[in-house]
Amino acid sequence: MIEDINLKEIQRKVYMSFFQDGLWDIFLGLFLLGWGLAILTDIAYLPGITFIGLYFAIWGVKKRLTYPRIGYARFSETSRRRITARVLILGVVVLLVGVMVAVLWGIDRRPQWLADYFPLIFNGILAAVVCVVAYWARINRFYLYAALIFLGGVFNLWLGVRWEFGFIGAGCVIVLIGVVVLIIFLRKYPKMVEGVKINDKK
Amino acid sequence: MIKSSGDEVQEPVTKIDKLIHELSRYTIMAYLYVVEVADFLFLLRQTGMTWGNMSAHLSKLETVGYVVIEKEFLGKKPHTTVRLTDQGRNAFEDYRGNMKRVLDNLPTK
Repeated sequence: MIEDINLKEIQRKVYMSFFQDGLWDIFLGLFLLGWGLAILTDIAYLPGITFIGLYFAIWGVKKRLTYPRIGYARFSETSRRRITARVLILGVVVLLVGVMVAVLWGIDRRPQWLADYFPLIFNGILAAVVCVVAYWARINRFYLYAALIFLGGVFNLWLGVRWEFGFIGAGCVIVLIGVVVLIIFLRKYPKMVEGVKINDKK
Repeated sequence: MIKSSGDEVQEPVTKIDKLIHELSRYTIMAYLYVVEVADFLFLLRQTGMTWGNMSAHLSKLETVGYVVIEKEFLGKKPHTTVRLTDQGRNAFEDYRGNMKRVLDNLPTK
């Protein structure tokens, strides 16, 4: 039993090592910023472009910043299948909810509750997705991000704050936290090549 | 021949792989067991070992065929990846099973 626990602990450490550089935080924050700016400027395709652009940029930065510092590991086939299945399930659930909301929004006699609470519902769904990621990756700060996203909807509904400002505010805070995590990571793990530690004082 | 209770305890003990029964090598194998492939740096960071220590243990594991070490160059920098072989994976699973049996067979206080 002890050994099973240890293996699970090792697996957890490996999962967590992929989030310790703060780059996924920055990704989420910039994506939310993009979303807020899209609503503000009425450019519908901005979130899509932001998402795709950031996704590839993050992997590029990881290759240059993260892997030379903490190394690289590829999960086993079983783990990769499990992660893919989880992402797919999450994607399908979000898509179904999105389609449901869009259909309800599109019908002639749109339910009044949907019109009244749309920002809250939308932010709630987004916050739930971030919570699921936090739970799977076991990264507690992502729960805070989910709360920030949800608060955007709450502020819009009860304080009259413009919906897009909720996204922009949450995005800025998340990017800031991500940058702090990244700086801590860079200071904690100097760049290394095999056998030599770069930036190491002699 | 009738086995005594002492034999029951000793039998799995004799099956324990002495090569894996060393904390550093066990840790390396445990990490390689949960991932498909890892580079040298990743193992170093995760286990907290030194370069020399890691090299020595990996060489021992490679000699018995438990791991495969592949060296390449990324640009001008050397890059070493390590993976567990099927033999190594089976040996690790056997080790865990045997250890569990040994511990389970110990008399309770």
